[in-house]
Amino acid sequence: MAEARKGYTGRQLRISLNDKTCKTEKINTQVLKDYLGGVGYSAKLLYEELETGIDLLSPDNKIIFATGPLTSNRVPGGGSIEICFKSPLTKGWGEARCGGDFGPDMKKAGYDFLIIEGKATEPVYLFIDDKQITFKDATPLLGKTVSQKTKLVREELEEKDISVMCIGIAGENLVNIASVMFGGRAAGRGGAGAVMGSKNLLAIAVKGSGKVDPQDPEKYSLALQAARQVIKDSDIAKGFREFGTMGDMAGNDAAGDFPTKNWQSNNWGKGQELYDYYSKHNFIKNEMCYKGCPIACGRIARVKEGPFKTPAHDGAEYESLSAFTAFVLNEDMDAAIKSSYLCDEYGIDTISTGAVIAFAMECFEHNLISKEDAKGLDLSWGNAEVLPLLVEKIAKREGIGDLLADGVLKAAIKLGPNAQPFAVHCKGLEGPAHDPRSGKALAVTYGTANRGMCHIHPLEGMAYDSGKLDWGMMPYGVPDPNTLDRFEEKGKGKIVKILQDGLIMPDVLGVCKFFMYAGLTLEHYAGLLSGLTGWQLTGKDLVKIGERTNNLQRLFNLREGFTKEDDALPDRAKQRPLFGIYQDEDRCIVKNYEEMLKEYYEARRWDIETGIPTKEKLLDLKLYEK
Amino acid sequence: MKIKVILHTILKKYAKGKILENDTIILYEDTTLQGLTHYLAIPEKVGIIFLVNDFPKEKDYKLCEGDEVKLFSLICGG
Repeated sequence: MAEARKGYTGRQLRISLNDKTCKTEKINTQVLKDYLGGVGYSAKLLYEELETGIDLLSPDNKIIFATGPLTSNRVPGGGSIEICFKSPLTKGWGEARCGGDFGPDMKKAGYDFLIIEGKATEPVYLFIDDKQITFKDATPLLGKTVSQKTKLVREELEEKDISVMCIGIAGENLVNIASVMFGGRAAGRGGAGAVMGSKNLLAIAVKGSGKVDPQDPEKYSLALQAARQVIKDSDIAKGFREFGTMGDMAGNDAAGDFPTKNWQSNNWGKGQELYDYYSKHNFIKNEMCYKGCPIACGRIARVKEGPFKTPAHDGAEYESLSAFTAFVLNEDMDAAIKSSYLCDEYGIDTISTGAVIAFAMECFEHNLISKEDAKGLDLSWGNAEVLPLLVEKIAKREGIGDLLADGVLKAAIKLGPNAQPFAVHCKGLEGPAHDPRSGKALAVTYGTANRGMCHIHPLEGMAYDSGKLDWGMMPYGVPDPNTLDRFEEKGKGKIVKILQDGLIMPDVLGVCKFFMYAGLTLEHYAGLLSGLTGWQLTGKDLVKIGERTNNLQRLFNLREGFTKEDDALPDRAKQRPLFGIYQDEDRCIVKNYEEMLKEYYEARRWDIETGIPTKEKLLDLKLYEK
Repeated sequence: MKIKVILHTILKKYAKGKILENDTIILYEDTTLQGLTHYLAIPEKVGIIFLVNDFPKEKDYKLCEGDEVKLFSLICGG
């Protein structure tokens, strides 16, 4: 019998969609102590409960909605939920994070984790109201956009503000790049929406009336005050609030951190112009994604008139708009905003969608996709008009959209070997809008990140090299980034290992990583956790748990058949840019990726030849192979 | 020497009282980009990307009369 643990609800809700039953389970305290929550606890659970080689869109897959101990409206960054699953896109570890009130509300309802199993015979949505769990008929939601689904659920439940996460049409069509949405916010990557759609689960609505009390209220309160003060004083927090993630567009372009024309270059020279247009014509105001966020980096934007008109909506993020501008060489910001908006309404990952369209444009250029294949659509580089049309076709699996709906890797396999060089991905997950030719640590983080070429975990490498952010990780062995050249390769493998183990913490603790950008450190989080749970934790303890999580996710992938070859970096991300201000810069070429990888394996105490964690390392981390 | 300086996003605040109208600034000869950041009182630990006449340069670059310098700091989000 698990002991009640302050700081957690101590309960997980297991849903069986086959027979529409649910079971509340108490959580083992020692497991919580070893894995804390979020992607850590989910890795433990999925590693133990999922079989290898399952059909990823079958009832055999599971999907976990995971909070962390710090998920709370009171904690800076605490409006967060992690969705963990076996990814239909990569066939390995899948996770996607979403900001918003869903996580805190799930905890108020009394659950740290929600585990969804099986498949409903008819479309359903779940209504979680404290201990009352209802399976509702979701047939009226079929074919509706995300905002329509959310509205219908709230109307039926007569709850105008209830937290709702749902899939869009893309998830219903099992598009492998489908997302799970919380309003205009996305748990975007890896195909979580397809997994949910494969279970006939269209939405989850949650509300709760409970609260989680800290073990030591005074200590917790002091830790909260300290954390809030850091954010209040932070220039980066102010920057996020004033400019949003879009504030980086010009700087990233200047830094050579702006993948352009399907990664043919790392710089376009249009970043400033695009940002200026967006700032003048599209941006309305900033927005917090969860109640109480002290940063409020979200943007409300719109296209006021013209062929790409949109309503005011929560969107206009750097990744999304880069995917529909630089990736595809489109200079029309209105078209980019419209396309990003449609991705949110249809429930598809903006990054993967922009990436697969860029791939299609290059294939079109090289006659691997004909005009006939494209059913008359003009897939020329920079064609703004085609972008929103393609988004719709991908979501609906219509025409050329069906080829593209499952991502670049599968599309390239279907088109043949000549298409392979144009598919830019790691482990099957398409590359986001950051380029390792601007800073070499990103090369290693991209190649080794367990979910693939993602924009969350690898970013610590980019922010370290180009942003000179030490993340508070110097006490753990990371050198002062101001003493290092961003283009230097030697030493970056070792640095990445340390950064990964520390910086996975926000996704374990259930908070937004922007708060670490803004100055919160592992010591702040350890202080909060100690006050919350009564466990006397230090930053060093958190690094250990981070290391355990990274290794367990690695084991998960290895068990699925991943090898060292899956840690490869695509050639495009290593090669000399074909144009732009860095095309003559030899230093930006990734010359010795294999050496960087070896250095990383060595730092991890993995076998240097195979990248497999050694038995000694697993023992040290209290892990075992299953 | 007179150069043009454009500060972006979170660096804009360092322009106050230092950068003249038309984004110009007067500096001693042989001032480097690092010297420029000192003059603007931008903290050392802030990572900056410099473009001089739209080409990337390192902080030890010596500025010349008429150079246009753009300074970017990365807020660093995704």
